[in-house]
Amino acid sequence: MELQFTDEERGFRAEVRDYLRTNIPDAIRAAVREERPLPREWMVEAQQILNRAGYAVPHWPVAWGGRDWSAVKRAILTEEIDRNAVPRPLAFNVALVGPVIAAFGSEEQKRRFLPAIANLDLWFCQGFSEPGAGSDLAALKTSAVREGDVYRVNGQKIWTTYAHKADWIFCLVRTDSSGRKQQGISFLLIDLATPGIEIRLIHTIDGYRHVNEVFFDNVAVPVDNLIGEEGRGWDYAKYLLGQERTSMGNVGFSRRRLEQVRVVASGTTGPCGRAIDSAAFRRRLTQAEIELKALEITQMRVVAADAKASHAPDPKTSILKIRGSELLQTAAELMLDALGPEALTGGFGMPDETDPHQGIDARSAPLSAYFSSRKFSIFGGSNEIQRNILAKAVLGLGARK
Amino acid sequence: MNFDLDEEQELLRASASRLFEDHAQAGQDDAAAQWRDYCDMGLIALPFPAAVGGLDGGHEAVMLVMDAYGAALARQPYLQPVLLAGRVLAQSEGELAASALAGLLDGSRRAALCLYEPRGRYRWELPQTSALRTGEGWTLRGEKRAVLDADGADLLLCPASVRGGVALFAVPVDAPGVTLSTRRTPDGRSASDVVFADVALGTEAMIADHRSAGAAIAAAVDGATAACCAEMVGAMDRLLAITVDYINTREQFGQPIGAFQALQHRAADMLVAIEQARSMVYYAVAMLDAEPAQRKVAVAAAKALVNRSARFVGTEAIQLHGGMGLASEYPAGRYFQRLTTLETMFGDTDHLLGIVETAGGLPD
Ligand SMILES: Cc1cc2nc3c(=O)[nH]c(=O)nc-3n(C[C@H](O)[C@H](O)[C@H](O)COP(=O)(O)OP(=O)(O)OC[C@H]3O[C@@H](n4cnc5c(N)ncnc54)[C@H](O)[C@@H]3O)c2cc1C
Repeated sequence: MELQFTDEERGFRAEVRDYLRTNIPDAIRAAVREERPLPREWMVEAQQILNRAGYAVPHWPVAWGGRDWSAVKRAILTEEIDRNAVPRPLAFNVALVGPVIAAFGSEEQKRRFLPAIANLDLWFCQGFSEPGAGSDLAALKTSAVREGDVYRVNGQKIWTTYAHKADWIFCLVRTDSSGRKQQGISFLLIDLATPGIEIRLIHTIDGYRHVNEVFFDNVAVPVDNLIGEEGRGWDYAKYLLGQERTSMGNVGFSRRRLEQVRVVASGTTGPCGRAIDSAAFRRRLTQAEIELKALEITQMRVVAADAKASHAPDPKTSILKIRGSELLQTAAELMLDALGPEALTGGFGMPDETDPHQGIDARSAPLSAYFSSRKFSIFGGSNEIQRNILAKAVLGLGARK
Repeated sequence: MNFDLDEEQELLRASASRLFEDHAQAGQDDAAAQWRDYCDMGLIALPFPAAVGGLDGGHEAVMLVMDAYGAALARQPYLQPVLLAGRVLAQSEGELAASALAGLLDGSRRAALCLYEPRGRYRWELPQTSALRTGEGWTLRGEKRAVLDADGADLLLCPASVRGGVALFAVPVDAPGVTLSTRRTPDGRSASDVVFADVALGTEAMIADHRSAGAAIAAAVDGATAACCAEMVGAMDRLLAITVDYINTREQFGQPIGAFQALQHRAADMLVAIEQARSMVYYAVAMLDAEPAQRKVAVAAAKALVNRSARFVGTEAIQLHGGMGLASEYPAGRYFQRLTTLETMFGDTDHLLGIVETAGGLPD
């Protein structure tokens, strides 16, 4: 056992922090810290700065820009990115579609996509969920029918984050509906500029503009865009979901939020009186900070165990997802409570097509963040699904003897 | 005890409910007409004594109206102009207050009570805003925060420090030196920050002096807080109904998600939280005529519990809806926004628990 970070790991943390603080423009970090929506250009700029240092895709194969760092070092990297209010490399690119292409794509696909994905020259969004297929993802219906050199794609995706900013979408589509529902699913890359695709914004209660419906009407997709084999999309999706888990607990993000709560509650920069003078408030904040310390260590334990195991997803990751999402929500609640009555005159973002910041500014952001944070326990496998996993896969409950 | 509604109360609840539901169907387009409807139905006159032209409705009647208001997510200002500013006006003196109250009752005017100040959180009792005596009257100086529904009001009621106490001043919104900066709250109301920069006022502007203003404001705030709790319970109740409906129809894994016991238990816990909250609304209403110190503690205790229920019910409802809970088009999210907004009004949970704690617990 080595319950401390090694000197090398500490050195790595310092090096990362230094690079981030020196190279990422302050305006971008301020926007992230205040949880204002970022314009596309800023996200691209930040990812390219990270990519130059090898920080965008360290978990990829070395041939494609990976670094062969230990999982602990990668977790340190993510934590520092979050804690220093640097936009994370776009998860859809680097954590989801990238590793799938690297593992199952053809050489041609790797050459074509991987460098562009790492550098955010191409922006991917994730087309998995459908109106009838949320938690029950395998129920998806969007169909792809082969016609010579193309698939004809018809159907609808929903909750597609950033589809309106993206260049491409990676989709699970049904190429065969004869067998079990997990069979007959294929993994397809689709250029969003292809005729027949319509993207409609879904307005959300946080005032952000982030999720969309994506409609496919007889869209012609070259068969070259199929990843791996037809009908094996479910396996690839499982592989994808078992990928980069060093960020699952959102430890750095929660820490940044809690630090911010302390600042506002102590009234040094906050617009209203001191919430910190209330013993009840201090207790709740302290409790959250302790929980976060525990999560930080749990995260490292899962990550370290992971490094030794194969690519099979470790069901204990669900612990990180559950506590991590809850802590982000708690931190957002504490911020609202720290602001007191003035949380209200923070105002509220109105989705506005002409405003790149969507009307959400530093004052309204805490309210937006509060509403928005509900998503953390819903997407990427809801907390109920995570509990099902823990109950069944870890505790062995419900299995018939 | 008897928790049944009498015939008159049933009627009031049914008609208020129908009105709010109709308005909700019609949308927000005609705010002025909807406000007229409130007036025509007698909702505005409801809480006021007959002596000033009111209907003497009583606290229970207001509770029933607010419950229906919350259930329908009604949008026309009520808490502020009627229960806060209106009630304070009814306790005030002079021509200014009387004409403002008459204007409220005939639906032509609204006032807004400005309670909170920068750094003051929920403590309105000792304002930093000050009124200095001048030759001709008063000079008012200070800032107020998060004033509910101040836009649309023509008169601001501003508590200010006078002689170590608090007095109440009526200030026309268009008086020189008054600036409003207004924002939309998440549930579609408005909240304004107001600056009073050396506003020159006549002597008549002081509508309640340092001997009477504090008590009048406290009574209005406690009444409005109880009403706010009733609104929250109405909203929670409906939100649970919407959620139950949703999980009974939404299918995943080949069955309604409401068939999963994990979700059934969550819905059951929501019910428990709501019924506990409703009981505290009854308690608060029953205590509104008690001696002021007891009234304050009882109301604080009620809202502390209602707040906690609201946060639980609101977040659980969103969770049980999955992604749909976050969509603005779908009602669940809007109820959550309303509950969140109301939670921050008249004291958050920590503040309210503090009041009860300081008093050494609940009154007998
Ligand atoms: C902000 C946001 C961004 C998103 N971005 C994307 C994206 O970019 N791409 C994409 O493909 N998807 C995205 N999603 C979709 C997300 O993955 C789904 O919302 C999620 O899978 C849940 O599905 P659902 O919304 O249909 O809820 P449902 O599956 O209908 O779930 C509703 C409720 O039922 C519960 N439930 C379901 N099954 C069970 C069970 N077996 N046992 C107990 N409880 C159960 C759930 O936990 C939840 O509480 C996003 C969602 C949100 C909110």
